[in-house]
Amino acid sequence: MSTSQVMPPRPTAYRRPAILRYTLSERVHHWIAGLTYVYCLVTGLAFWSPYLFWLAALVGGGAVARFWHPWLGLVFTASVFWMYKMWRRDMLTTDADRAWSKSIQYYIRNEDQNLPPIGRFNYGQKLYFWLIFYGAILLLLSGIGLWFVESIPWSLRWLRYLAVAVHVGAALITIGGFIIHVYMGTAMVRGGFTSIIRGEVSPEWAKTHHRLWYDKVTGDASGRK
Amino acid sequence: MTNGYVDIKNTDMMLIMGGNPAENHPCGFKWAIEAKRNRNAKMIVVDPRFTRTAATADLFLQIRAGADIAFLGGVIRYAIENNRIAQDYLANYTNAAFIVKEGFKLPDDGLYSGFDAASQTYDKSTWNYEAAGPAGEAKPGLPPNVNSDMTLQHPRCVFQLLKTQYSRYTPEMVERITGIPKDQFLKAAELYTSIRKDGDMKKVATIMYAVGWTQHTFGTQIIRTAAMLQLLLGNVGRAGGGVNALRGHSNIQGATDMGGVFDIWPGYLKVPAPADTSLKAYTDRTTPTASKPAEWDSFNYWSNTPRFAVSYLKAMYGDAATKENDFAFDYMPKVDRNYSWTQLWDQMYRGSVKGLFAFGMNGVAIGPDSQKNIEALKKADWLVVGEIYPDETSEFWNSPGITKEEMKSINTTVYRLACAGFAEKDGSMTNSARWLQWKNAAVPPPGQARLDQDIVAQVFLKVRELYAKEGGKFPDPITHVTWAYSDPQHPSLGEVAKEINGKALGDVTDPKTQQVTKAGPQLPGFAWLRDDGTTSCGNWIYCGSWTEAGNLLARRGTEDPSGLGVYPNWAWSWPANRRVLYNRASCDPAGQPWDPTRKQIWWNEKTQLWTGVDVPDFKPDSHPKDHMGPFIMTPEGIGRIFAPLAAFADGPFPEHYEPFESPVQNALHPAQSKNPVVKKLTTPADKYGTTAEGFNVICTTYRLTEHYHYWTKNNPVNVQLIPEPFVEMPVELADELGIRGGELVKITSARSYYIAKAFVTKRIKPMNIDGKKVYQVGLPIHQGFRGIQEDAGRNARTLANRLSPTVVDPNAYTPEFKGFLVKVEKA
Amino acid sequence: MSQATLNIRRISGHAGSAPGAGVEREEQVCKLVDTTTCIGCKACEVACLEWNGYSFRETVFQNSYQTMPETAWNYWNLIKFNEHEREDGSMMLLMRKDQCMHCAEPGCLAACPADGAIVQYINGIVDFQQDHCIGCGYCVSGCPFNIPKFNQHTEKMFKCTLCSDRVNEGLEPACIKSCPTGCLHFGTKEDMKELAEARARQLREHSGFDKAGVYDPAGVGGTGVIYVLHDVTNPEAYGGLPSNPRIPWVVKFWKGPLKWIGNLAMIGGVIGVTLHYLRFGPKQVEPERDGNSRP
Repeated sequence: MSTSQVMPPRPTAYRRPAILRYTLSERVHHWIAGLTYVYCLVTGLAFWSPYLFWLAALVGGGAVARFWHPWLGLVFTASVFWMYKMWRRDMLTTDADRAWSKSIQYYIRNEDQNLPPIGRFNYGQKLYFWLIFYGAILLLLSGIGLWFVESIPWSLRWLRYLAVAVHVGAALITIGGFIIHVYMGTAMVRGGFTSIIRGEVSPEWAKTHHRLWYDKVTGDASGRK
Repeated sequence: MTNGYVDIKNTDMMLIMGGNPAENHPCGFKWAIEAKRNRNAKMIVVDPRFTRTAATADLFLQIRAGADIAFLGGVIRYAIENNRIAQDYLANYTNAAFIVKEGFKLPDDGLYSGFDAASQTYDKSTWNYEAAGPAGEAKPGLPPNVNSDMTLQHPRCVFQLLKTQYSRYTPEMVERITGIPKDQFLKAAELYTSIRKDGDMKKVATIMYAVGWTQHTFGTQIIRTAAMLQLLLGNVGRAGGGVNALRGHSNIQGATDMGGVFDIWPGYLKVPAPADTSLKAYTDRTTPTASKPAEWDSFNYWSNTPRFAVSYLKAMYGDAATKENDFAFDYMPKVDRNYSWTQLWDQMYRGSVKGLFAFGMNGVAIGPDSQKNIEALKKADWLVVGEIYPDETSEFWNSPGITKEEMKSINTTVYRLACAGFAEKDGSMTNSARWLQWKNAAVPPPGQARLDQDIVAQVFLKVRELYAKEGGKFPDPITHVTWAYSDPQHPSLGEVAKEINGKALGDVTDPKTQQVTKAGPQLPGFAWLRDDGTTSCGNWIYCGSWTEAGNLLARRGTEDPSGLGVYPNWAWSWPANRRVLYNRASCDPAGQPWDPTRKQIWWNEKTQLWTGVDVPDFKPDSHPKDHMGPFIMTPEGIGRIFAPLAAFADGPFPEHYEPFESPVQNALHPAQSKNPVVKKLTTPADKYGTTAEGFNVICTTYRLTEHYHYWTKNNPVNVQLIPEPFVEMPVELADELGIRGGELVKITSARSYYIAKAFVTKRIKPMNIDGKKVYQVGLPIHQGFRGIQEDAGRNARTLANRLSPTVVDPNAYTPEFKGFLVKVEKA
Repeated sequence: MSQATLNIRRISGHAGSAPGAGVEREEQVCKLVDTTTCIGCKACEVACLEWNGYSFRETVFQNSYQTMPETAWNYWNLIKFNEHEREDGSMMLLMRKDQCMHCAEPGCLAACPADGAIVQYINGIVDFQQDHCIGCGYCVSGCPFNIPKFNQHTEKMFKCTLCSDRVNEGLEPACIKSCPTGCLHFGTKEDMKELAEARARQLREHSGFDKAGVYDPAGVGGTGVIYVLHDVTNPEAYGGLPSNPRIPWVVKFWKGPLKWIGNLAMIGGVIGVTLHYLRFGPKQVEPERDGNSRP
């Protein structure tokens, strides 16, 4: 659930008490989704282009890749649905997000000081969440079509073609989001990666990136005033 | 076939009726396609259903099952009316010019002269030619000299009678009877007779038929109508012409040739009757004498009957057949009654036939009236079935409807003998084109299966042993049979084939060269046969097939120098390796081919002989000016448009009669609707339906290309192709009954019922017969209660022939499988 | 079936060009199916089954002579039966042998992602190489004739090979050999075209089929199986033979422009974030100061 709490200080590791950003359940689901997505991405890229077909060799060859891709795709979709269940309320767009999105250029230029404060997730994260959520639905539906393509009667063959178009299109769009997501989670926003591994962030981190959330979990409302 | 399968490629016009060659003779049908592709030949298909043959036709007409004579009679009328006839051919090669006796009456009322209502038979004495000269009248039989009128104008000449007979078959009448709209009929008649436009003799038309004609109570007469039409148009004897029976089994021609019918010996010799108390009495009765206009010549080849008969007796009894004992003529059974198929079952049903050997056929499934046959077998003491699969006949006691309790009361002992399949034995098969083709065994019979000839030989040897040991009333016919095979228990078919060909037993003189051949060698042909006991021959028409030159049946020469598809060195064709019968008729009276591009044989003035690419079916040195008729097997030497005397039981000309079960009255003569000489059978099992009882749909039965009779339901691939029994029915009928394709329907006749899935199709249309709406349905015969399909448990498990009636053609005794009445309802 | 000795013109899912591309050492082979002389005897179906060693497959009667609704992974050759009424009310029973058309521009091959799973030999035969097939089913979407079929057990795709194994040895395909009427012919594309055109002309001039013609659809670059049809303007009547078959535009777009757009987008994305990092670097967390509010 989205309620985070201040953790009791660890005896030695931190000078100051760390803030729990992601619960274990959230982290597990994120990584199930992440890893299955990566698997589907790698195998999908293998199917995407002859110049990437070698990727299939990395995961046991084309036939094996073809076998697991839809199954892991199902797992991915399931974990996305789970995340939806966990985060859907957190991911609703707020007035703060709207304000934030108007100043997004500052965020891109790392001039975060010019940004209005935001909650647990910023508008970009929320966009990515919904992108993956709807992307997963499309990938699931079109994926089933591709999986059982022969079961689509010849008279409804447009469904076969739709499945191809939708699967490829949805994949490409999620890949775009995914590149940004990985970049930001690893290289750009320092501490972000740790947070999804260990679940904790420093109060400074929280204050810097998600001030409203920080205020909420620490009970400090001064920032709002 | 008068011609052969390959010869069909030479035709310009095809009429396919009473047959479905694309489905049932697909390999032979190749040549019909060749004719279409290479000669732009036209194809007319007339059938109750739009078949796969119709799919390749230029013109398809849907006819009511059993209305064929009306259609063909209409075409005859059309040809005469429009002068599309072969005038010279007709006058010289047929009996069109012959004058018929006074007192002969055409069947305006459905009856020819001489009908006796009490016995349902004809006194045929008026069905004869008028004898030339006052002396000829007294003797029975054909007059030696016949009055004729070459102008074909004499009111009693055959041509004028023909004209009168079919003048009633107007296009309007054809429409009323057949259901074929007048304009469509005229289109077909115009197209078919177009080959004789302006009397031009170059083009040739052929007629192909199968059991769709044969299996009627007037089947023989349908085929005769076709023959008459072909004679009228001058199509018989010519490449690409003829009347061509497409036989339904690989060797059914061979079975008939070898006397597999109760009323003939091998080679179509008549069986002796009880009145034939001596060989002479028999040959006197069965040997015809020439009958012709005085100035003509007639070969009358059947005048050789004594030679063929004696040689046959020598083949049967060898040294035991001597001049002194009439060549063992007394050993041969004298046939005193009708022992045809339905009669055998009838007699078994009545309890007088106690046992049955059933080899190579499935008597219960064949029917007609399978249920009657099952009832008959219940009454038999024993049944021996030689088959490659367990079949319905050997398991008649397990047919649908028989309870476990009832089974206990069936006392018939069934011996099931595993036989070899066709690929497991050698021997020859005679195809529709009269080719005897030798084959080798491909694989040995599996398990304990035995060759049929071994089983028969071993049974025979055992019986002979018993006769030798225990005697009997008259053991000689059994104990004296020649059995000179090197392994008597396992006669080799090569030895049998050589025996059938025949050999010289004494010194024989070459009929041409007068050279004398000593005893011993195989005979080169039937011209060598003698009636003095110096030759033996198991079947005269096969004589020449296995000579000193070896097994000619095994020849595989693919040379065809003429390009006419003669292939003289491929296998061997009876008689005398002739490929087209009556080929003298392919030439004009002067002996030159009607069509110089299709030269078969011709008179060579230089050598004073008939010569050509085929073997002349004629006296080789008969000069054209002698005017010998080309149809050497008739006493007249001509093609019979009028069939005199006892040739047919039901009339010298064909007349349209309704099928025994018909939804309408005969439009020509309602008072005489059916064939007057056809008799009902009279056991309680023999039931016949009428429209009054609600049987108002015409049902016809047939085979599918995917299956072969009742065998292939044991073969997975065939079962895959057509997995289930179905009944083809018009969309309109299905709509009326609320039946959709694939739903189960119940077909009921007066005999029994059959359940199958509905095949709702546009390929059978409702018909308008004389103002009455008539539906036809079609029933494939292949399924039964024994086979892998049946074992899968989703089959109707009944036999289609439970529906068909036991009523037969009066000439050939063939049951009427094509066109009987049923009810159709949702199952 | 791998036929290594046949030169290959096209390979599916292959990086780089195929060894036989552009080589025209061999004649194009072609099957001619003259539907006007087909009698629906199914000898070709059985011959196909037997040559390729496939066994019994349970079927159900479905108001037709047709063996099954469409070809199957182990039933590559199927005659399609269609009752057709002409404008003048006369019946036709159209029978068309359905099988892989061996397109010059095969949609299956275009759609296939697996390296070497589908090859086109330089004689024109399009063949599935099950050793390389990954069973993805993309070929199903690529095919405008509904031919490739999936085997659930082996998870491989199958279809008519045009008897590449027989053709390789100089024999005609099994179906051709079995045809009793000669409605099936096999030879070079050129010869078959000539024969087909001659037959179509004959049908137009002598049999009253004014619209008779040859079906060799240009949309897929022509096919290795061509038909003579009574009415070439209405191939749909012959059991759904498409009148203008093409590789579906989706598949074309996917394997063509979209591939480039997608590749550019993905590469662009990676380059974009890299440039961003180089220009702006990571986001720094504000150092902790005394006091707990933003300035």
